[in-house]
Amino acid sequence: MSAQTPHLEIRGLTKRFGAVDALADIDLGIARGEFVCLLGPSGCGKTTLLRIIAGFEKADRGHLLLEGKDITELPPHQRGFGMVFQSLALFPHMTVAENIGYGMKLRGTAAAQRRRRVEELLEVVQLPAIADRPVAALSGGQRQRVAIARALAVPPQLFLLDEPLSALDAQLRDSMQIELRQLQQRFGVTTVVVTHDQTEAMMLADRLVVMKQGRLQQCDTPTEVYRRPANAFVAEFLGAANLLPGVVQADGAVNVLGAHVGASSRLAAGSAVTLAVRAEDVRLQAVGAASAPHVVGDIEFVRDLGPLAELIVRCGDERLRCRSADAPLREARVGQKVAVHFDAQRCSVFPAAHA
Amino acid sequence: MQTATTSGAALVTRRADARRPALTAAMPSASPRASPRVSPRKRATLLLVLPAVVLLLPFLAAVLFILRYSVSAESQAINGWSLAHYGALFEPFFLRSVLLTLKLATLSTVICMALAVPIAMLMAALAQPVWRRVVTSLVLLPMILNLLIQSYGWMMVLGPTGVANSVLMQAGLIERPLSLLFNEVGVLVGLVQTALPLAVFPVLGAMRVISQEYLEAAGSMGATPWRSFFDVTLPLLKPGLISAASIVFAYNASAFAVPLLLGGRKVQMMGVAIRDMISPMFDWGGAAAAGVALILITLVTMMVATWLATRAVQLKEAR
Amino acid sequence: MSAALWSRTNAGSFRVAMLAMAGVGLLVAALPVLVIVIMSFSGDAGLEFPPRSLSLRWYSSAFDVLRGEGSDSTVSAFEAMTTSFMVGAVTMIASVLACVPLAYALVRSTGRWRHGVQLLFTLPLVFPLVVLGVAYLLLAETLAQRTGVELGLWRLAIPHIALALPFVLRNCLSAMQGVGRDLEEAAMSLGASPLRAAVDVVVPLMKPGILAGLIFAFIISFNEFTVSFFMYTIDVRTLPIWMYSRTVSSLDPTTLAISTLIIGLDVALIAWVDKLVAGKGRLF
Repeated sequence: MSAQTPHLEIRGLTKRFGAVDALADIDLGIARGEFVCLLGPSGCGKTTLLRIIAGFEKADRGHLLLEGKDITELPPHQRGFGMVFQSLALFPHMTVAENIGYGMKLRGTAAAQRRRRVEELLEVVQLPAIADRPVAALSGGQRQRVAIARALAVPPQLFLLDEPLSALDAQLRDSMQIELRQLQQRFGVTTVVVTHDQTEAMMLADRLVVMKQGRLQQCDTPTEVYRRPANAFVAEFLGAANLLPGVVQADGAVNVLGAHVGASSRLAAGSAVTLAVRAEDVRLQAVGAASAPHVVGDIEFVRDLGPLAELIVRCGDERLRCRSADAPLREARVGQKVAVHFDAQRCSVFPAAHA
Repeated sequence: MQTATTSGAALVTRRADARRPALTAAMPSASPRASPRVSPRKRATLLLVLPAVVLLLPFLAAVLFILRYSVSAESQAINGWSLAHYGALFEPFFLRSVLLTLKLATLSTVICMALAVPIAMLMAALAQPVWRRVVTSLVLLPMILNLLIQSYGWMMVLGPTGVANSVLMQAGLIERPLSLLFNEVGVLVGLVQTALPLAVFPVLGAMRVISQEYLEAAGSMGATPWRSFFDVTLPLLKPGLISAASIVFAYNASAFAVPLLLGGRKVQMMGVAIRDMISPMFDWGGAAAAGVALILITLVTMMVATWLATRAVQLKEAR
Repeated sequence: MSAALWSRTNAGSFRVAMLAMAGVGLLVAALPVLVIVIMSFSGDAGLEFPPRSLSLRWYSSAFDVLRGEGSDSTVSAFEAMTTSFMVGAVTMIASVLACVPLAYALVRSTGRWRHGVQLLFTLPLVFPLVVLGVAYLLLAETLAQRTGVELGLWRLAIPHIALALPFVLRNCLSAMQGVGRDLEEAAMSLGASPLRAAVDVVVPLMKPGILAGLIFAFIISFNEFTVSFFMYTIDVRTLPIWMYSRTVSSLDPTTLAISTLIIGLDVALIAWVDKLVAGKGRLF
């Protein structure tokens, strides 16, 4: 992509609540049509950031630029963004059609035209016949779609969603994730979603923005964030990861669990490091048949979960979580010894106190 | 300093200091925003609050006015400063009125509370909403309806040919009608009736908070309903009872319509005395001073009650 | 305390005693009203209870009086009734118009000033009515003396408004608290200015509470006696005051009929308020 002006640019955004830094110096650029997910644990500032983008909160420092124009001081109702709230916030005293048509009504669109657009949108979100129903009569999934239709009725510059699927039950959530992604692709609208659910983020986003305590941790495609986490926090947040203390050896190899098990690092010899390896990247073999450098551990826990086996292997002081599709491992028993090694490509090594 | 690193096709935003100076020149300063003198938000809030405050101003003005009048050197105008009006309150006419007021207020409060607790218990115990609403409406009636109309009712109940006397005479309990009206008895009855809602609702509220477990525990230890009531329910209700009683006392001490309508010329509670000072006596300064005295009495009552109530709560929590 | 607990723990003499006392209390509360209503249907000329015959004659007499016929005082019943309704209307409109924005500001803002303001608006409740009447009277008279301004209807409306404000505010506050902030933000995200969002979303959702406030303010004003007693003049008086001046000498059944009509109106209005507020906390 060329170095053109990003659609939305966030510069040096800072927000304090009392003595706490909700957001510390955030810099971020979002391209037109991109689907960005703000991901992080509660309290990391993701919702605050979204609300500042929407205009409902004011940053203490920093700027927001939309296509190069500074919109930092612009009140929310002049920004032309479409937002889906966590509570959905459908107007209880209006029908579905009135809700969806509200934005157009404010802009003076004629009633007939409004009606056409409402029905068009309802078709898109697959709720064709409910235009005149009162909002209270809808199910959870239906309300969700009406909220989305409402936000997109007047084509917005930015589509903002605050934990949009958190109120749905698991099955509905899964199908809605797919629909939401498809909708966004179809409309091509620049989208920012806040979520604490890692799977959801992976499903929806072109780019993940991982946040912790008001700071950006990593900002990359989901695959990159998953495979090459920037630090131990990101590694742990996205998928079950084992974090092991280790030491860099003279030859660059990293010793973990008292032995070299395949990882290496370019940090200075003697540095203390944290090695992150995902449960599914821990390789387990029978003790005799071990090929690569390995460490021997005892199986503490094993469970056949259907497609995978979930195991906990104790090596010295550490307990490793492992997941594997290997058939023999499903029949492993507690107390059995097993050889553990890591795929060097799949490990991440970070300086130790750098969580 | 935060850097957002990316790779691949996504856009890069790096804190490139080389870029900054040119852009900052074109933008407002990156330092914390200077806020305008009165933020639009505060101005909006002020506008929202203003109409109501304006409507309340005459009230505040009236209060200040009466305070000022009470220390005026004249009786019919505000002029100069003097405590003569307050001094005049210490003459027998007014003092008798004060004593009468205190007596009737206390009596009516006691009776009110004695009736309010059973009523509140009944209301708390009603399971069906229909009955609850009927009883609530019955209790609320004295509060909503015209005091004048209610005194008509009492006149017909307590009068010589009224309901009470008719029933008693027909039952053979008395031979001549009792004098229940246009005297202290009539006023007392009226005071109890009009203040009843004020007593019931706070007690009801306090009762709802009492955990069932206390009563169940008492019952399981062998306490009869009477004992549970006196040993558990009443003490737990104490703070609520005290505050309800203080409200009733203050309300009845300031009563005007009831003693006026049901007391004939004979029951000179403070409210009526104040009115007499206005007309026919035209002693406005005196009336003002008397009014302030009445306010003080109610204020002191409320403060004493609050103090007692908080002490009761503290004792309860200390145990 | 639940109903189940009541029946399990309170049996025998305790229950009887409590029920009896409660019965006495309720009787005391309701007796005057019941007697008036019954007596207004009496066919006798005298005021003996129980009535020996029933008739509607006093009602027809009442309607005549209220229409202004045969009036013997300077202000007829019709004028007094009209004044009552007008003052009531002014009171309810003014207090609601003031309390809705105030409730909005109190619920949506932060800051310690809110406690002070709420306290301020409960003052009229705790103030002795007599003293309030005297205070307003002194103020109005002095105003008339010094500036010659005659207030007319406002002599009554201004105190009534002050008396109604605490109740109306309470109603509006609870109505306002039922409207989530996210609804307003949603409206703004769709392009509504804050004012537009308030009008399109907040106020419609507050409707039941606002209506309840309106009715309640009217009831308070219509039934007000004490302060009106101090503030009335030869030309301006409310219905209760008119009734008082008529019955100072004696109580006649026509007045009872009028009273019953007023009681009917009050009960109907309160039932309406009850339905509007249903379940969402009570007036007290």
